[in-house]
Amino acid sequence: MAEDILHDEQLPQRLNMRLWRRVLRFAGPYRRYMVGLGGVALLIAACDAAIPLMVKAVIDHVVAGGADARFFAMAAAFALLCLVFAAAVFGFILLGGRIASGMAHDIREAGFARLQELSFSFYDRHNVGWLMARLTSDTDRLSRIIGWVLLDLLWGVCLLIAIAVMLLVLDWVTGAAILLIVPMLVIVSAIFQRRILAASRRTRKINSHLTAEFNEGISGIRTTKALVREQANLDTFKRESGAMHEASIYHALQTAMYLPLIMVIVSVGEALTIVIGANRTLAGAMTLGTLVGFTYYAKLLPSPIRETARNITDMLGAQAAAERVMQLIDTEPEIQDSPDVRQRLAEHAAGPRRADPRLAPDGLPDRIGSLRFEHVRFAYNPGEPVLEDFNLEVEPGQTIALVGPTGGGKSTIVSLLCRFYEPDAGRILIDGIDYRRRSLGWYQSRLGVVLQTPHLFAGTVRDNIRYGRLESGDAEVEEAARLAGADAFIRELEHGYDTEVGPSGNRLSTGQKQLVSFARAIIADPPILIMDEATSSIDTETEQLIQRGLTRVLEGRISFVIAHRLSTIRSADRILVIAAGRILESGRHHELLAQRGHYHALYTGQFTREYEHRVLGTPLLEEDGLSPRIS
Amino acid sequence: MKRSASMSLWQLTRGHRGRFSAAMAALLGATVVGFVEPLIPAMVIDGLLARLAGDGVEGGGAAAGAGASTATETVAALLGGPRSVVDYLLAAALALLALASVNGLLTYLKGRWSAQASEAMARRLRNRLYDHLQHLPARYHDGAETGDLVQRCTSDVETVRMFFATQAVELGRASLMLIAVLPFMLWINATMTLVALALMPLIVLFAVIFFRRIKWVFRASDEAEARVTATLQENLTGIRVVRAFGRSAFEKQRFGRVNADYRDRTFRLYTTMAVYWSLSDLLCFLQIGLVLLVGGYMATQGSLTVGELYAFLAYVNMLLWPVRQMGRILSEMGKAIVAMGRIGEVLDAPVEADPARVGAAARPLAVATVSAGASLATSPDGLLGRIVFEDVHFAHRQGAAVLDGVSFTVEPGTTLAILGPSGAGKSTLVQLLLRLYDYEHGSIRIDGIELATIPRKQARQLVGVVMQEPFLYSRTVRENIRFGHHEAGDTQIYEAASTAFIHETINGFREGYETVVGERGVKLSGGQRQRIVLARALVKNPPVLILDDALSAVDTQTEQAILDALDGRRGRRTTIVIAHRLSTLRRADQILVLDRGRVVQRGSHEQLINADGLYRRLWHIQHTLQRDMGGGDGETVREQ
Repeated sequence: MAEDILHDEQLPQRLNMRLWRRVLRFAGPYRRYMVGLGGVALLIAACDAAIPLMVKAVIDHVVAGGADARFFAMAAAFALLCLVFAAAVFGFILLGGRIASGMAHDIREAGFARLQELSFSFYDRHNVGWLMARLTSDTDRLSRIIGWVLLDLLWGVCLLIAIAVMLLVLDWVTGAAILLIVPMLVIVSAIFQRRILAASRRTRKINSHLTAEFNEGISGIRTTKALVREQANLDTFKRESGAMHEASIYHALQTAMYLPLIMVIVSVGEALTIVIGANRTLAGAMTLGTLVGFTYYAKLLPSPIRETARNITDMLGAQAAAERVMQLIDTEPEIQDSPDVRQRLAEHAAGPRRADPRLAPDGLPDRIGSLRFEHVRFAYNPGEPVLEDFNLEVEPGQTIALVGPTGGGKSTIVSLLCRFYEPDAGRILIDGIDYRRRSLGWYQSRLGVVLQTPHLFAGTVRDNIRYGRLESGDAEVEEAARLAGADAFIRELEHGYDTEVGPSGNRLSTGQKQLVSFARAIIADPPILIMDEATSSIDTETEQLIQRGLTRVLEGRISFVIAHRLSTIRSADRILVIAAGRILESGRHHELLAQRGHYHALYTGQFTREYEHRVLGTPLLEEDGLSPRIS
Repeated sequence: MKRSASMSLWQLTRGHRGRFSAAMAALLGATVVGFVEPLIPAMVIDGLLARLAGDGVEGGGAAAGAGASTATETVAALLGGPRSVVDYLLAAALALLALASVNGLLTYLKGRWSAQASEAMARRLRNRLYDHLQHLPARYHDGAETGDLVQRCTSDVETVRMFFATQAVELGRASLMLIAVLPFMLWINATMTLVALALMPLIVLFAVIFFRRIKWVFRASDEAEARVTATLQENLTGIRVVRAFGRSAFEKQRFGRVNADYRDRTFRLYTTMAVYWSLSDLLCFLQIGLVLLVGGYMATQGSLTVGELYAFLAYVNMLLWPVRQMGRILSEMGKAIVAMGRIGEVLDAPVEADPARVGAAARPLAVATVSAGASLATSPDGLLGRIVFEDVHFAHRQGAAVLDGVSFTVEPGTTLAILGPSGAGKSTLVQLLLRLYDYEHGSIRIDGIELATIPRKQARQLVGVVMQEPFLYSRTVRENIRFGHHEAGDTQIYEAASTAFIHETINGFREGYETVVGERGVKLSGGQRQRIVLARALVKNPPVLILDDALSAVDTQTEQAILDALDGRRGRRTTIVIAHRLSTLRRADQILVLDRGRVVQRGSHEQLINADGLYRRLWHIQHTLQRDMGGGDGETVREQ
């Protein structure tokens, strides 16, 4: 997020109208509110402009030494004006609030929906924090602008026109003289609003550096002490806090200068009123009340101008945010159903065979037996292929263990299989059909995935298991947990299956999360299971439980395991040693060991580490060159 | 918590009170000038009225001839009478401009000085917090949450700053207005003063009560927002699970619920604000109307001139905004006090003390320290690095003993290896040597000097340590290595990096040694980080080098190469290695097996493999492996 601020520091020179029209499309459902709000804005402007008129009326009446009865009339009129004004303000905030909160909701919804469709290559380019900022702070800012700023602009312009009309109608000579200060107000406001916004961004940016310094100072405290760097660190910090001091003072000075300048300009208007207005009054061209009313108008002038300048600056400032949000919403997923698939999906849904359980929604058979990679090539970055001419044939029910160094291509193979990415060249066939000819939604729902860092969602244990098949009943959930070996520990939890697991499941241990994720996979009963095995340490007891659960999970389906545990590797039907995007060795455990090649080396290394871990109870740390990465 | 040391908001202003006073003086001046300003148009109005009446244009201008003691007349008389004011319209206009300019200047100065004072105060507070945090003992940091500390240092400081920069000033303005201006208004017209202030208490009270009452509406909206953020984060971090189970529709539904709830709660907040603003506006307008109509009536009765009515209208306008603000400020002032309390808690925590600084009681020790420190400081190279632990005990707070009577000796220039299961107390031992913690019983001596008598900073300079969790600063790689020794030249840095087997890797980075590490720079792997930290310790070239499981993320071959390179230090420098790998352990002159805070075994590799224990079990893994390979059937392999 620090980056965003950096980019935003330079304000764009002008408004990008195409972008704002795009944003405005989200205001569509609120058209009626917008119209109402426009009316209310006009009403408020009218009330603002009417107050000096009231003053004028009273003064003229007093000067004329008028009858008392008219005072009651005027009091009634003023009271009415007050009520109308208050009602208008109420309506303004209410309607604006409805538009702002509604639009924020809609933009977030659209963004969220889009995020559910985007390909993983998109997720590789943007981290979670970045994406979240788009749908939270950026979205709120945008909707506030549509809800308030646009209508504030309307109010400002209307009030300005109303004041000008009143001034010129009541006495055009004095009125014109007062209006002379308008250009001055506009110029000063435009300059200062820009400067103030730029200055506030600068302070925010430096402030984020300060926060980072504090963070680093605290989390690195032991190292700092060990290196006796306290003074050096403080010196660095003082530089940053000094910069913050300077930037904040600059910011404060801009504000401190702006308002007095406006005050002085207004007094120029008042002075003009005195000199010209008094003479006009003496000449009988206008009444004393008008003269007083004029000083009021002079005082009223800056607020619409100041607000308008601020609003335009705000829009300029939010333009970058608007661009980012709209870009996110308008991003097309790189992997989606082809037109042909979409047509078949539609035909099948409307066709006579839609109830046929043997058919998938795309009209092709609903079964996955065999799997084949054919001359597959893939690169995350053009020119740096990770896989090249990769071939593999998997028979029904086989468990494939993938082993090898990081960056060798294990994760890529799995990602391609999941269709998180698609091959750059070559094909992946399911029962002889290129998987790109199948519906993405159907295919991915046939996969079961157990990740290295098992991810659970906030909610109960039951909810998390049921996530595998939403329509399953409690008995099925518990049966799946039993099969996965999770039942025993779940029952020991405070509320059993109804225990809340906390955000990302972090109230459970890694081993427990693993077991729950097994149960989730078992209940889904997918024809293909993909598993990225954990390297993190689990106590021996849990490990045995996991071993048993895993056997159940792998039974009766095609399984791909990025394997780290000896037992998993040893029990695989086939072990593939993957390095540099190729299969170096392939076969069963004994066969490969006998070859005394790469597998032998990997296995002995792993064996030593695993046993050291058992003896010492120390964490199995990931080593460079061996640490796996989630695709 | 001791009350004496903690700071109050008032104490915080020390050193900036001059600036604050100047700001207040400017504010006072601006307020007074601001109140004089409307008197000029008021005089002109009355002058005009008089002129019009005198010329017989307007009939019974009631105000014109009324009582001789009206305020505008008094002021106008000083300037030469109402008629002459009209004769000198230009002068009046210029006077108005001049007053406005003075007012503007004073307002600017107020802004400038209050900003300077509050920013300087904030800067000093931040620096002080940072400095203090760095000197708090490791024990304090054990029990504190980083996020919480950072919040105290950033947003709490900001709250306090805001209080001084704006809220205190606004309160000052409101009180000044009342104190300075009330007599002024009373002098002009007492009845009108009461009328002008009639609704003000109500406006303040309404704001105070309102903002107190609706805190929960704000909170409800904040909580709903937090739920949206949490749901979003859950979804995005688990997006692979979502996709893998084809749960997009379900997720959209789930998000839709919290999203709609957030919308509704925000809307509720808006509704509440609409009630507040419209009622508050209504009150303000009624107040203006009251002045206008009562004043108008009084003017027709001759008890007020039209000019004075004008002045009162201006005053009411001037008073309304600060009064409105006051309600909000009063209801929010508590925040600054709470924030100050939270900051005070950090600053009150006692820093790491050296016994030397304790006071008179410790004088004999202090002398010893000074001499010890002096001898260490003058010739760190002359230090041998003989380390003796004698019956050392240590426990974290009230917990069980972490070290329970540990004794051993490391001769200068030799290598000690420590092995033990997690929780055995290995890292604690290292941290005691660094004086991050103080041992309770027993004695630790370096070259015969009791560690507790060596000032912490000097003790730390004697020891180079590579900790389990490598910490790098978000600076360049070069700076990170140089942090070990400030005068280190590039050659020394490259040499250390080569010994740590990271030189080539660094040169492979696009920006080489200038690569920025961490958040704002390149992400390094665990092994790379460990090796850079090792280079940093080597640049320091300390008499004692400690590697606390420091190469765990480095692959085995590289680790052995690094250890080979480090062997060059043998005989000159003392080394302590905490490790699990047999290949590393067996290199040491002496191996210590630590378990539950006690030394359970000690000896050389040969001695230990012949004794039953952890070391031998580790060594047996090799045999198990051979059997596993030879035996063929993996299922029969069981741990020894």
